[in-house]
Parts: sequence; structure tokens; C-alpha cells
Amino acid sequence: MAVTQLPATGVAQAQTKQAERVARARHRRETIVQTSIAAFIALIFFLPIVYWFLVSVKPLPYTMTWPPVILSEPIFDWYEVVVLGMDPNIGAKTGIVFNGAAGDYYVIPSLVNSILIGVLSTIIAIAIATPAAYALSRFHFKRRSSLIAWILSTRMMPPVVAMFPLFWLYTQADQRVFSSIFGRGTSVLYDSLLGVLLVHVVINLPLSTLLLKSFFDDIPTDLDEAAMVDGCTRWQAFSKVVWHYALPGMAAAAILAFITSWNEFLLTLTVTRTQFRTVPVFGSTFDVSAAGTEWGALAAVSTTAMVPVFIFVLIVQRNLVRGLTMGAIKG
Amino acid sequence: MTEVHAHKRKIPLWSSDGPWIWLLPVIILLVIYSVYPFIFNVIISFHRFDPMEKAFRWNFPDNWINLFTNSDFLKAFRITLTYGAIALIVELVLGIAIALAFDRSRVKLRGLWQSLFILPMVVPPVIAGLMFRFLQNADYGIISNILYALGVIERSEPLIGGTGRNVLLAILIADIWQWTPFVALIVLAGLKALPHEPLEAAIVDGANRWQLFWEVKLPLLRSVLAVVILFRIVDLLRLFDYVAIMTSGGPGGNSETISHYAYRMHKSIEWGMVSVIGIVVLILAIVVTNVYMRAFKVKF
Repeated sequence: MAVTQLPATGVAQAQTKQAERVARARHRRETIVQTSIAAFIALIFFLPIVYWFLVSVKPLPYTMTWPPVILSEPIFDWYEVVVLGMDPNIGAKTGIVFNGAAGDYYVIPSLVNSILIGVLSTIIAIAIATPAAYALSRFHFKRRSSLIAWILSTRMMPPVVAMFPLFWLYTQADQRVFSSIFGRGTSVLYDSLLGVLLVHVVINLPLSTLLLKSFFDDIPTDLDEAAMVDGCTRWQAFSKVVWHYALPGMAAAAILAFITSWNEFLLTLTVTRTQFRTVPVFGSTFDVSAAGTEWGALAAVSTTAMVPVFIFVLIVQRNLVRGLTMGAIKG
Repeated sequence: MTEVHAHKRKIPLWSSDGPWIWLLPVIILLVIYSVYPFIFNVIISFHRFDPMEKAFRWNFPDNWINLFTNSDFLKAFRITLTYGAIALIVELVLGIAIALAFDRSRVKLRGLWQSLFILPMVVPPVIAGLMFRFLQNADYGIISNILYALGVIERSEPLIGGTGRNVLLAILIADIWQWTPFVALIVLAGLKALPHEPLEAAIVDGANRWQLFWEVKLPLLRSVLAVVILFRIVDLLRLFDYVAIMTSGGPGGNSETISHYAYRMHKSIEWGMVSVIGIVVLILAIVVTNVYMRAFKVKF
């Protein structure tokens, strides 16, 4: 009954209430502090991209001054040049007269190449790496550990080592072998889809194979054995049963492979001339040290190239982080 | 369950009961990518390409002597190692600090911040190079102007240009922006995977946050960090993209890296030299990774 309550308990209650209030306040303060720090870090890394994007929707005079006009009424002329391949002499609005021709900033062909090469090379690399990874995980043969070490060492090799040998192999094979088969001037490897694909498959094989091997190591061998008791051959056990369990690993490896292919520059630059330029190779054709650099067009090129991958990464983020950390956590 | 025993009999190479047929495509492709270039480079490094004759002429040991008496190459070598060491240390310290900040228990909207933070990783380095070229413009670049205001650099010596005194800083900023998230993400995943007992025991023993990090978390993260560092070392040794886009190795060769130097040689048809550099870079990579893996006992 409230009337007969001792005053002491009231005091005690007040004290606990007080303590709770203090604790709640402290928690709120911690939440604010910790969240602000995380947000600040994220924004520091993200703002350059935003700032660069804004350049693509502003007339040039607004960007080439200090202090700059951060926001202006957006114009989309740069995108007309970059995405639609229109004649860049829109001068009046963008405030410049282009030095280049209409096609110079037309990013779509190289973007299509990048996506095509990225997707195809990823599919091929995973298709080749998965059986290999299965074998490395399931068979215990002589030289297994040295084979794994060798595969890892190819991942560590600087691409510049392969640059000239591959260039020479491609150009000579085209000149001496394929020309005599398919007629003069054919390019089967150099500056061709096949040649670029080969490079992009190869650079992704080591990591994909080792990543998938560690996934197969986690799949119990009872599965294979049960399938083989039921009359499957080794190959059938793998192709009908086991590889399904490695799908998450294949997804993680595929995402990493696609991103690697998307970013690859040096080797692609060496084995392409004009036909199969990827976005990075296309981006390297601009002379940014010149006085009349069309920053707006370059920012539009960058944005057009970045947005599809950003969307892709945000969708597959969990898998990406998992793939990245797989090797490191298990190492 | 009946145990399936592989009998001690010779399995033919093309049988799917043995490993080789499974591994064949990977082995062939990786031989084309690594073994063939190595042998080819060794042979070509004793020759010089004669553009008039369109043929390789034996000139051993000129290429090798050239390379090691060539001040440009030695400078590129030094720049690559200097740059790599600084970038590695900064990315590691920053990456760990950021991972710890993201790992705190009361961060709200963590997924959002992490997503924004991942994006630099998937910007192609070439595109990042164009972006930083703009952000670091001597007159109207925002990064340049911030650094002027802070007094880090003088207007007379901009990030890109001038005598090239600050050009390494320009490339470092790009690399750090692009790769710190990679380090931070992996360390963050490592922190999430840490066992609870040692942490709780340390807290019971009255360890403060600093001690908890230095004496408990860091030792537990050792293997994760070892792998991250290895990947970063390998990538930093091959640095090419930012240099090619932002500076072309200039001014005055102050941002010339080994890879970019080799590419310039390739462009000017000094193919014998390209092969020598290829071998030197390969040896460098092998030595560095081996020493590192022994020192840290990295295993895969």
C-alpha cells in the first residue's frame, strides 16, 4: 500500500532512477560521438567523388576558379557529349570551345567493352578455377603444396614482367601464324576480344583458384564419397553434387574477379590499340596537363563509368567483403 | 558408410580420378602468364632490338650494365621503394584506426557508412587519377588549396608541377584514398571474428582500452594483418596507373616508378631493356615477399 510505504524506499527508487538517467545520457552521448566519427570518416572518403560528379553538371568557368562555385543550376551538356556522342561545340553554355572531335569523349563503346570483357572473363575464369580448386582440395598428390605455392607466386608477380612477352607473343602469332591461316592483316590476339579476354582471365585465375580451394576445404568430403558410393564417378560427384555447395564461394570469387578486370590497366593498354579499349585505357587517352582540359567532359566520363559499378557493389557488398576477407581471416 | 579407398595403382594422367586433368587449363594459362615471360625475358635481356633490321641483336652484357649504371632507373627503383614504404605505413595505421572506429558498439547506420567507404575501392585507378588531377590542380584544385591554407606546401611548389618536390605527395594522396578502405575492411572483419574470451578476461583484469588494443587485439589480428600487408606490398611494387595518368613520371623524374619506367622503354622500342627490368622486378618481388613471409611466418 502506498500510504504505508517507507520513505527510505522512495529515496532508493529516486536514486536508481537517477542512475538510470545518467546511464541513458551517457549512452546517448556515446552513440552521438561514435556515429559522428564513423560518418565523418565515410564522408571524407566519399566527398571527393561527389565533388568530381558536380564538375560534370556545371559550366566550365564555375569549376576552373578558386573558390569554386560548388552548386550551380545543373547542365547536362557534358553528358550529351559523353553518353550520346554529340558534337561537343556547345560552347555558349559550357563556356569553352572543344579542342577535340565529336568522338573523343564518347565513352559508351569502351564502357560496353569493359562490361563485356569483365563479365565474359569472370565467367571463364570461375569455370576454369572451380574444377582446379576442387582438385587441389580433394586430391592429395605429390607436389601439391609446391603447385599451390606456384599459383600464389603468379598472383604476386608484377604485371610488368609479362607486359612485353605477351605483346610479342600476340603480335608475332598474328603476323606469322594467323595471317597465313586467315589471310594477311588479321588480328586474332593483338587488339582483339580474344586477346584481351585471355589477359583478363589469367590475372584472375590465381586468386579465384586459391579462394575457391579454401571454400571446398570447408565442404565435408562425405558428400563426394556418398555420391561415389551411389555410383557417380569423381567428375559426376563434383558436377552433380559438390559444386552447388561452393556457390557462395564462386559468387565471392566472381565479384572480386569482375572488379579486378574492371580496374586492370597496364596489360590491357599493352595488348590493345583502338578496337577493344576498356574504360581505363580510354581514360588514359586524355592529356590532362594541357591548359584547355575539358574537366566537365572527363567528370562525365568518370561518373558514367563509376555509377554502374557502384550500384553493382552496393548490391553485392556482403559477398565482396566476405571474398576479400576470406583469405586474410583464414591465413 | 563404406570407406572408398584409392588403391595403389597408377592413375592415368587424363583420368578424372587423378588431379592433373582438373588442373590442366589453369596450369597452361599460368605457364603462358608467368613461366613463358620469365624464360623469354631472360633470353631477350641479352639482346637489343634493332628497329631498322626489325630483329634482336645479341649484345650481352650491355643491357645489364646499362640498367645498373642508369641513374634514371636507380632513381625509379628508389622512388618505388620510398613511396611504397610510406604508403604502406600510412594505410596500415589509418586502416587500423578506422576499423577500430567502425567497430565501436554504438555506431548507428553502420551499413550506410561502410557502403560509402567501400566505393573508392571500385573506382578504376585510372579514373581516380583523372579525378585527383583535377582536385590537385595548382590553381583551383580543392586539395591543393587546402594544403596551401594549412601551410603544408607553398604555392610556388604545387603538388603537380614546379620542380616536382611534392609530386610524391600527390600520388600518395590518391593511393591512400583508394586503398585505406581495403585495409580497414579486412581489419574490421578480423576484429569481428576475434574470440570473446581473451577480450573479456582482459576487461575483467581491468585493462583500459589502450592496453586492450595493444596487448590483446593486435596480437590476435597478427595473421590477418600479415596477409593484408603482403597484398599491399605486392600492389605497391607494381604501381603504375596513377603515375601514368597524373604525372607521366615527371616533373624531373620525381614520380617515376619501375613499372612506369619499363612502360616508357616499351614505348620507345627499347625491348631489351624492358626484359632486363622485368627480371629485376621479378627478383625484387620474390625477395621481398619471401623475406616478408619468413619474417611473419605467413601461411596460406
